[in-house]
Amino acid sequence: MKPVLLIVDDEIRVLSALRRALRKEGYEILTASTPQQALALLDEREIDAILSDHKMPGMTGLQILGEARRRRPGAARLLISGWPEAVQQRDLDALGVQVLIPKPWDDADLKAELRSALR
Amino acid sequence: MAQPAPVRIVLLGPPGAPESATLGALSRLGAEVGVEPVASASAAGARALESEVDLIVTDPGVRASELRALLDRVRDEGPPVVVVLDRDDDALAMDWFRRGAADCVAARSADEALAVAALDVIRRHRASRERRLAERRIASLRRTTRNIIQNIHGALLVVDGACRVSYANAPAEDLLGEPRGSLVGRVATRWFAGDAADTPLRRTLEKGERFRGAELLVERSDGQRIPVAIFCGPMRDEQGRDLGAVAILQDLSEMRRLQRQLFQSEKMASIGQLAAGVAHEINNPAGFIDANLFQMEEYVADLRRLWRRARGLESAARSALATGAEGLEALRSELGAWRAEADELDADFVLEDLGKAIRESREGSERIRHIVQDLRTFARPDGSQRVWADVNQCVDSTANIVWSLMKHAVELHKDYGELPALLCHPGQLKQVFMNLLMNAYQAVVARVGDSGELGRIAIETRRVGDQIVVSVQDQGIGIAPEALARVFDPFYSTREVGAGTGLGLSTAFHLVSAHGGRIEAESREGAGSTFRVLLPATPAGPGS
Repeated sequence: MKPVLLIVDDEIRVLSALRRALRKEGYEILTASTPQQALALLDEREIDAILSDHKMPGMTGLQILGEARRRRPGAARLLISGWPEAVQQRDLDALGVQVLIPKPWDDADLKAELRSALR
Repeated sequence: MAQPAPVRIVLLGPPGAPESATLGALSRLGAEVGVEPVASASAAGARALESEVDLIVTDPGVRASELRALLDRVRDEGPPVVVVLDRDDDALAMDWFRRGAADCVAARSADEALAVAALDVIRRHRASRERRLAERRIASLRRTTRNIIQNIHGALLVVDGACRVSYANAPAEDLLGEPRGSLVGRVATRWFAGDAADTPLRRTLEKGERFRGAELLVERSDGQRIPVAIFCGPMRDEQGRDLGAVAILQDLSEMRRLQRQLFQSEKMASIGQLAAGVAHEINNPAGFIDANLFQMEEYVADLRRLWRRARGLESAARSALATGAEGLEALRSELGAWRAEADELDADFVLEDLGKAIRESREGSERIRHIVQDLRTFARPDGSQRVWADVNQCVDSTANIVWSLMKHAVELHKDYGELPALLCHPGQLKQVFMNLLMNAYQAVVARVGDSGELGRIAIETRRVGDQIVVSVQDQGIGIAPEALARVFDPFYSTREVGAGTGLGLSTAFHLVSAHGGRIEAESREGAGSTFRVLLPATPAGPGS
């Protein structure tokens, strides 16, 4: 079984680039561009890891990861943000978020973080 | 009453004759008369000019040449000279009168005549000396007053009832750019821009109005325009009769320059606040462009591998063509390898996705270009000339910049009405809209926090009569009534120190005033605020 990765970003070009970057990593990749889509997928599917953008209309990435912890406690939680300075470390710790990845991201780092989160 | 000063007489006698009859006669004039004998005309003249001598008397024994020298010396400035002659000689006396003697007395009758002549001459001399002193005092007072007025820090202008200049100091001449002494008699309103009948000077003359720092524009004959503050009021004499008006003009150019600097730094401060949001907005496309480039590099490596297979296939095909059946086996194997390679790297997908990655990346770089361009047009200071601009465009480009910062917390509604072109400083108007939008955003954030809830901000533009109205309405925390009364005061801020300059709204107010408009604020605590910018439409649009 391929591990299932859910990527959440309000920017569909970012979703497309992330999907492209992770093409050969052997994941089944699901994407959501709104919080509603993300929550629906969390309910419908077994998910092994969730990678979410932070600043989005409607819900922040931290809120989505909080929901993910409630609905899919086993899934690894990763946050990605173009404004990482605005995220407090204690909020990450409180939600058990493994890692905060800055945008623009380094492909090799991103792949390594996902691999270790899914180990 | 002050005691009259003792009478001082200088007696010029022949050298070596101190005990003359004249000295005796003068000594008998009384105790309050001091007599100082001297032996030469030059000594007598020097004494007379340097101290307060009332009278010079010359002894009959003095030589005519000495006497002439003395009279010449004291003629204009010095005390009167009474000449004592050794005999009654009208012709001689007339001669000395002509040379400037105040009186001539014969030695024979010296006692009585000398006393009468001396006292009379002294009285006349003292009276004229006092007059001279008074005149000197008046002249000195006039000089002092003139120095004060000329050196006062401010241009002083006095006009008569017909608004003609009756007095102007040097700073006034400099400020109005006119040569020294050329202002008197000219109508003062000629130097002020706008309706002459409505200048403060005219209103002072006609209605007695006073002005304290009213601002107006001086238009000099060399074409220079200088902003000034005028302080003026009616000028009246002790009886309350109108004499005209007196005005002090203060050059505001330097203050205006500092104000412009302040406004520009306020703008830079708000750009600083924006920077984080803008960085975020740029990091998104930068992120996917970067990732796409990385991926495209891998695609190119894959395609290069496939191309190498194609070359192998090509040479196998050539040798098969040359050798016939023998080469077919090798060709078959190369073809199999090529197909396997193409399937393994999913060549169809790679080619299609490569095109997609390029298109998406180009769209991303276009977006970065737009963001940077918006930011640059916003940061650029306006020139000194107003230009025709579309207010809707100013509002929209500003909203686009701020959007990146606020989109996670705000639901933005834009409703732009049709507006006439406006002759304005577009950069200043953008700064005003930026301030209003940033305040609205902060009010919304203060209410919704990080809850993920969105607060509404509505931008509306309308033409109402001959005014352009831009309103920014937020569903933020609102402003308490006592704070609302002070929102346009400089440095007034309810935010914590460091969270804002406290100059945003006061700057906005100034910039809108400079366009002849005003800002209105309305607010309900807990419900939100509305700020309305009202700008008078420019009377004639471009090309009309």
